Amino acid sequence: MTAGKTLISLIGVSFSYPGGQPVLRNLDFNLNSGDRVGIIAPNGSGKTTLFHLIMGLLKPLSGRIEIFGKAVREENDFAEVRRRIGLLFQDADDQLFSPTVLEDVAFGPLNLGKPKDEAIAIARRTLTFLGLSGFEDRITFKLSGGEKRLVSLATVLAMEPEVLLLDEPGNGLDVRTRAALVEILRGLDQSYILISHELDFITATTNTVYTMQNGKIRTDQELSVHQHVHAHPIGSCPHEHCTPEDAHRAEPPLITEK
Amino acid sequence: MHISEGVLSGPVLLSGAALAAAGTAIGLKKLDYDQIAKAGMLSGAFFVASLIHVPLGPMSVHLIMNGLVGLLLGWAAFPAILVALALQAVFFQFGGITALGVNTTLMALPAVFCYFAFSPLLFHRRPLVVLAAAFGCGFLSVFLSGVIASMALMFTEENFWSVAAMVVAAHVPIMIIEGIVTALCVVFLKKVQPSMLPAYSRKDGL
Amino acid sequence: MISEPFALGNSPLHRCDPRIRLVSAAVYSFVVALSHEFQALAAALVLSMVLLSLARLQVREIFKRLAVVNGLVVLLWLVIPFTFPGEALFRIGPLHASRQAIVLAAQITLKSNAILLAFIALVATMPLATLGHALNQLRVPDKIVHLLLMTYRYVFVLDQEYQRLMRAVKIRGFQPATNLHTYRTYAYVVGMLFVRAAERAERVQQAMLCRGFKRKFYCLQEFKAGRGGVIFSLLMSAALLGIVAIELRTAL
Repeated sequence: MTAGKTLISLIGVSFSYPGGQPVLRNLDFNLNSGDRVGIIAPNGSGKTTLFHLIMGLLKPLSGRIEIFGKAVREENDFAEVRRRIGLLFQDADDQLFSPTVLEDVAFGPLNLGKPKDEAIAIARRTLTFLGLSGFEDRITFKLSGGEKRLVSLATVLAMEPEVLLLDEPGNGLDVRTRAALVEILRGLDQSYILISHELDFITATTNTVYTMQNGKIRTDQELSVHQHVHAHPIGSCPHEHCTPEDAHRAEPPLITEK
Repeated sequence: MHISEGVLSGPVLLSGAALAAAGTAIGLKKLDYDQIAKAGMLSGAFFVASLIHVPLGPMSVHLIMNGLVGLLLGWAAFPAILVALALQAVFFQFGGITALGVNTTLMALPAVFCYFAFSPLLFHRRPLVVLAAAFGCGFLSVFLSGVIASMALMFTEENFWSVAAMVVAAHVPIMIIEGIVTALCVVFLKKVQPSMLPAYSRKDGL
Repeated sequence: MISEPFALGNSPLHRCDPRIRLVSAAVYSFVVALSHEFQALAAALVLSMVLLSLARLQVREIFKRLAVVNGLVVLLWLVIPFTFPGEALFRIGPLHASRQAIVLAAQITLKSNAILLAFIALVATMPLATLGHALNQLRVPDKIVHLLLMTYRYVFVLDQEYQRLMRAVKIRGFQPATNLHTYRTYAYVVGMLFVRAAERAERVQQAMLCRGFKRKFYCLQEFKAGRGGVIFSLLMSAALLGIVAIELRTAL
């Protein structure tokens, strides 16, 4: 799994919001080409912050960020990062700021300096690829939740990024759109990091799953998601299980399937 | 508050348009492209706030909130209010093309005035001063809008004094409500997100 | 709820080049606003109705808009005839209605209605996104067009946030009345609306940066006047010249 070259590398990165507790503490993480990494962790553990640091929307208090083998620090360094890495925002309404779908999808290519015709062609191609042809003139606000998510993905893919950062892409989607999204993600060439709360979504779309704890990504402890089948009295009522290790640490397990 | 189409005279419409164009030009100059999202969003919030009806005895009146927009945006209130009024015209046909300049001026000029008059006081040590300044901002912004509307009417036809007087008189209760709502709104913003007020970053200088 | 009831349709006017419609609406509004002669104003009202019939819109929605404007007009009729000096046309008790004022009120009534109807037919028949692009091609500065489109995009989102906030307030038993508690509640709701707007603005700004925003606005939509557009402009110009001619002839 570490065969490819390193795309993103964070070394000893720490971050805290002004006047707040540290969110990331001395975090180390590598994304290699070909990786599809899932991160699953509770709210407020710094997953979104991690993405914003990679994109240069936030600056780390300490530590180094290297992207495509180059240290990035200044605003100028990130112009290239943003061209080559695509971030899918948690809330599609934040991502889709143009009135119509075509304009929004073409926004990125236009910023990359593509002429209008070509930007429109790329936008149409991307929409078709995602099964959204015919959506060009739809008003972004009036799309359904699932359509908004897919159009958001189109706006990111239209920039032809090499790496994707996906912030809870499966959230709030109906079963059909979710299944469609899983298929789309599995068919992509790009390496990506995917944040999610949903075990089944994350296992269906990634090949390594990590968790975050105390402001760090626990790469030492790859999670393997699995299910148990077992039987015992009153097993049909809702109940929780403890592993002996958890009982010993007197902490709830990191993830329990609901 | 807006003046309908077909009421005002040519010179008044043109003066209003010229003032609005000048204010908008200054506002756009001060509005960096990085703040387009912020100005657009606050303009949208201003639009939505103007749809809120609050009770006043047996009636209800809608909020105006141009004072608060002034406090938040300064000169950029001009383009923000212009855009919100254009949306009102297209969506609801409140006002129209010819009166857009006058209507923008009568809402935005008081907003900018309030920004310069009151925002330095919003981070005063004494809470009573802050409250009074914020109330004054809400109250005066509507009062001045009424005055400008009256002037537009009087310059159109000097015998419009009765209508002009009615406009101002009818807005007195609204001025008081706007004063109260703006004051409490500023208290809220100072607690929840003080950095939204441009005066916040300068408060150390006071 | 915010909606654009006239924006969609397939009438000849809906299909006409938005730039031509916008310019026509602006010129027409000014011509009518600056006219005084009843014959000219009557002609304008007829033209507005012709335009409106071309647009084939929902009559109920049009009457709703007319009701708002004419509510103000009625108020004007109640006040100005009795507060103007000059020759009295008739008397009601101690009040005498000035002839000059009645003429003025009648002019305003005609003008407001004519301009409103033409605006509905020509401008309200385009979605706001189209209006923005048309303005951009008419050389309105990029920044203001971008601002307009951004505001349009988020007005709906913000309206929903407001509805959510009000629901949250109402399910906890809030009943609006004329008291400080009510005004405080509304102040907090408005405050929250602005806070959420500012927070969203920050996220949108980030989303723009992530897609390489270079402080330049691009407009993709292009319009073609076509033969219909040319014919419409010619007819509209002729009609406007006609109104101006009537106004000048009667005035001189």
